[in-house]
Amino acid sequence: MKNWRISIVSLAATAALSAISLSGTAAVAAECPIKLGGLAPLSAPGTVVGGEAMRDAMLIAEKDINEAGGVLGCDVKVVIADTEGLPEKASAVMEKLITQDNVVAVGGGYHSSVGVASKDVADARGVPVVFAETWNDTITGDKQKYIFRIAPLSSWASATIWQAALLVPNIKKAAILTENTDYGIPAAEETTKGLKANGVEAVTFSVDIGTQDYAGIVERIKAENPDYIIVLATGEAGYNFTQQAADAGIGPMDIPFQAGQVSLESKAYWENVPDGNMAFVQRIGVPENLFNEMGKKFTAQYKAKTGKGAVESYAMEAYDSIAILAQAINEAKSTDGDAIVTALENISFEGTLGRIYFPYGLKKDPGADGKGDEWWHQWPDPALTMIQYQKEGQNSGDSPIVWPDAYKTGPAIYVKK
Amino acid sequence: MEFSYIFWWVIAWMIFWALVGSFVTRRIYLHRDLDTSNATFVGSMLGAATGPFGLAPLWMKSPDLTNRFVVFPALGAVTLIAAAFAFADPSNNCVANGSFVASQIVNGLIIGIIYGFMALGLSLIFSILGVVSFAHGEFYMVGGMITYFATVVWFPGLNPALGILIACAMTFALGAAFERMFLTPMYEGKIERPVEYGILVTFGLAFTVQYFVQAVAGANPVKTQRYIDFPRLRWPSAEDPWLVKSSRGNMELFDTVSISNPRFTAAVMCILVLCALLYFLHRTWTGKALRAVSQDREAAAIAGINPDRMNMLAFALGGMIAALAGAMLVQAFSWLPQVGNIPAMRSFVIVVLGGLGSLPGAFLGGIIVGLVEAAGTGCIPDAQKAASYIPAYGMIVLTLTLLLRPTGLFGRRFASGTHGKF
Repeated sequence: MKNWRISIVSLAATAALSAISLSGTAAVAAECPIKLGGLAPLSAPGTVVGGEAMRDAMLIAEKDINEAGGVLGCDVKVVIADTEGLPEKASAVMEKLITQDNVVAVGGGYHSSVGVASKDVADARGVPVVFAETWNDTITGDKQKYIFRIAPLSSWASATIWQAALLVPNIKKAAILTENTDYGIPAAEETTKGLKANGVEAVTFSVDIGTQDYAGIVERIKAENPDYIIVLATGEAGYNFTQQAADAGIGPMDIPFQAGQVSLESKAYWENVPDGNMAFVQRIGVPENLFNEMGKKFTAQYKAKTGKGAVESYAMEAYDSIAILAQAINEAKSTDGDAIVTALENISFEGTLGRIYFPYGLKKDPGADGKGDEWWHQWPDPALTMIQYQKEGQNSGDSPIVWPDAYKTGPAIYVKK
Repeated sequence: MEFSYIFWWVIAWMIFWALVGSFVTRRIYLHRDLDTSNATFVGSMLGAATGPFGLAPLWMKSPDLTNRFVVFPALGAVTLIAAAFAFADPSNNCVANGSFVASQIVNGLIIGIIYGFMALGLSLIFSILGVVSFAHGEFYMVGGMITYFATVVWFPGLNPALGILIACAMTFALGAAFERMFLTPMYEGKIERPVEYGILVTFGLAFTVQYFVQAVAGANPVKTQRYIDFPRLRWPSAEDPWLVKSSRGNMELFDTVSISNPRFTAAVMCILVLCALLYFLHRTWTGKALRAVSQDREAAAIAGINPDRMNMLAFALGGMIAALAGAMLVQAFSWLPQVGNIPAMRSFVIVVLGGLGSLPGAFLGGIIVGLVEAAGTGCIPDAQKAASYIPAYGMIVLTLTLLLRPTGLFGRRFASGTHGKF
């Protein structure tokens, strides 16, 4: 009788253990695939061309990671979230990615306002984010534990804009058209400061992100008689302004003109700005002939997937933002947020843009080297260049780099007013 | 602004007397048992323009407030603001630069004509159905999209005129189908709250169309090439073309006013179609039937007109007008699924300003909004803020209209309101 009871108890215990063990297996299985969030603007007023490029790049990263064996023995799934380029939407999608999609980390991000708004949500929930293309200094300047960035700082990128502007022959006055966002306003202020310090007057016109009709502003800019025009507007706003300026006789073929960064999307640029030849465009990353193996491999895949003739810098940043997270999780051997942060702080990742690392953070404050807070969790080495379209229909990848000298592949052509 | 105190003192003076004029004039007209429909507007405008000097005789004589009492004080108030601005900021481009002013006026007129044309469709729908179509911007968007796809993707090299015709035909059909499927319950008394139903169902259409188009066509900005190129003109001589100088994409008049090709062709097309529409409404049986239904549905029905058919025609025609505006502007502004949002918002402002249901009001309202936006963008001294306020200019016009003349410029006090019912 006693043996019978022992047998029953043993059986029950075995069944319970089996159940626990099975549920444990189920829990592990539920963690696969490991989910990473991917922020991209896929609807207006966000920069849809940029968002689609980033989405494609992040999905290529997902494929590459999985083909290389995944992360912690699991496949990776990149959950793409449409931010629409709007801060309120960005906070909402970050919340959704973390609480509903259960992502363990987030990459991507195009608009600065998206980074500014969504970083607090991620930081409060302890989910690491590697922002790909959000430039506003405060994104890293708030020194938040879980926030990293591989895009250049706005103040730094602006310096390249005004330094390139100073090369325009006989420049005395520049007109800046900026979007009134967390990207545009600080960038315009920094650019103005740099130009003024070098004796060049600057007049800034700011517009809402979705503005279509620029006739009135174009006339005001014409009345200012500038020697150089700088566009700091993302999305189709940049296209609309550039073409309308060209229609009014102050386009890239009429006076030296720096178009918005979205002009790197050559096909869309030429379709929307047929009179946009001779425009200067800022670009992040080294020229294609200097790409490393990773960059070359990604470029080939990206061109094959999208049918484009050139790879945009924000696509490369988006790829790297996902790939670096995968490496960090592998090195952390965990999907825990704190462990990923530690791994990121110590990482040396060979990405498409070069070797990515974060010299400042919890282990070393930027102030220790006399640097500002914005260098917190900031990759310090992205190359910034200025290209110029010099033939109608030219690919941005084939256009000569005209600045700085270190990467220069051809001379700038400055049209005469 | 050099002497900003001059400007702000004048504005404060105008606001004070406008408030006094609006309140007191209405009370006096009420007290004397006179028509008060224009009293608030005339009192406020006369007060703003002339202060006590104009208000005192008005209060003493209390004449009939005919249209001249509406127009002249309003023009006087605008003139006074302009004069104060000129004294306060003599170096402003809007004061010191004649060619700049001319360019801004022409730009304002051109974009105003296009806005007004688009708002015409909204007004037409309201005047017949009593429904404010919140899908108006989506018809604009679809018009641009179909024109782009027809001329660039489906049949590359297709004549743009054919592309526009295809867009018009398809949006007409879409409008007619939607009206038959979703708006007819309003006429049959099946809907308890037809006003709210009309708003919600057109809102639903707007979202459905916008997201459907985004899913099907994507959200990359696209644009058609210019429909026609300007001929290369140099008048009166090639050496000194002070009268007209044109290139493919631009025309310069009097060495001062610059007009871009896409805007010019869009505005000309809008004027031509407006003329055709006026002919249709005033000279054809169907057009007269439409107007009859907008004035009195029951009387129109007794006269043998089928109001239901007119409802369908009005909604389809209104949507097609918006689509035509979109088709003409897809050569000027990059197209996106959300491209209709801004024009739709402006159309709402314009129809309120012009008077709900009034076709001439919609057109005139469009021109006024275009000119106000051009003036604001061009004249506000702070360059950084001038363009940022573009969306606000229309809202200021809307607020002032609702405050001073809720029926708008040409609105009927009880415009339609029948919501398609007898």
